[in-house]
Amino acid sequence: MNTLESVLNDPPASTPHSELRRGALAALPVLLGFIPLALVLGAQASQHQLKAGEVALMTGLNFGGGSEFAAIELWTSPPALLVIVAMTLLVNSRHLLMGATLAPHLRHLPLKKALGALFFMCDESWAMGLADARQRGGFSLPYFMGVSLCLWTTWVSFSTLGVLLGPLLGDLHSYGLDMAFAAIFLVLLKGMWKGVHAALPWLFSLITAGLFFLMIPGGWYVLAGTLAGLLSAYLWAKP
Amino acid sequence: MIDMTTLVTILGMAVVTYLTRALGFVLLRKRTLGPQLSQVLNAAPGCVLIAVIAPKFVSGHPADLIALALTGYAASRYSILPVVLFAIVVTAALRAALPT
Repeated sequence: MNTLESVLNDPPASTPHSELRRGALAALPVLLGFIPLALVLGAQASQHQLKAGEVALMTGLNFGGGSEFAAIELWTSPPALLVIVAMTLLVNSRHLLMGATLAPHLRHLPLKKALGALFFMCDESWAMGLADARQRGGFSLPYFMGVSLCLWTTWVSFSTLGVLLGPLLGDLHSYGLDMAFAAIFLVLLKGMWKGVHAALPWLFSLITAGLFFLMIPGGWYVLAGTLAGLLSAYLWAKP
Repeated sequence: MIDMTTLVTILGMAVVTYLTRALGFVLLRKRTLGPQLSQVLNAAPGCVLIAVIAPKFVSGHPADLIALALTGYAASRYSILPVVLFAIVVTAALRAALPT
């Protein structure tokens, strides 16, 4: 067989370790968005009398930025348990769909492994895992875990650090760091682009989410926008 | 010492968040969707991403809107790291030039 040729043409055999590393490296640009946001979260938590250990516990176990900002916004002492848990559920309800889109990629794995990996699924690791699967023709769990662990460690450590540094940080808004997420998401959307027709549900999602954000307080806009987009996709789908 | 209500609230958040992460997968694990539903599910990633950043599109601040448009253009041509750096620099510069 053409051993030499296949050696020259194939990328070096990927081991789980090298895939983990590849994922962690791919996540580095995302950290530019994660680090400042985590510091701001910690700083806001300290203003609501949360201690560093409590923030570490919350971000480590919950690991969902949007829901954590919402929770801290609503935090009183003692906290309103039901309101905060309900808000968390609402803000994170998009995970249901995200998990569903991963089902074809994870179903061949042992259930425990899949359920463990899903604990770390966030917007970025999920979208990057799917984009990588599309590019390379298969979902790589170690790549996904490399992205996820890099993001999780950063999120937990910098949000905890934010509690301690909070009063020193000042206004991070002026630095433009918050635009990092829009940038990341737009690049990921570009990777999913399959023509104008396929992107029409995105437009419905954007318009609905924008209107909900402007007119309805609370975390409804992500859920409303996503559902509007899916509804339009359903109506247009060719049976 | 961590306060009891704080602990229970954090654990409650963790439980519902994990359920949202696991449930979509668990429900679809043993099923294959029809072509229509899988077409709908194919649209889900884009719809989620654009809905999450929708507030940026309706912020009403000229600096942010121009920065967003430039970032969108950059995202259509370049890879993630240069686009992120570009977005941060352009946004900071425009916010300094056009204070709200």
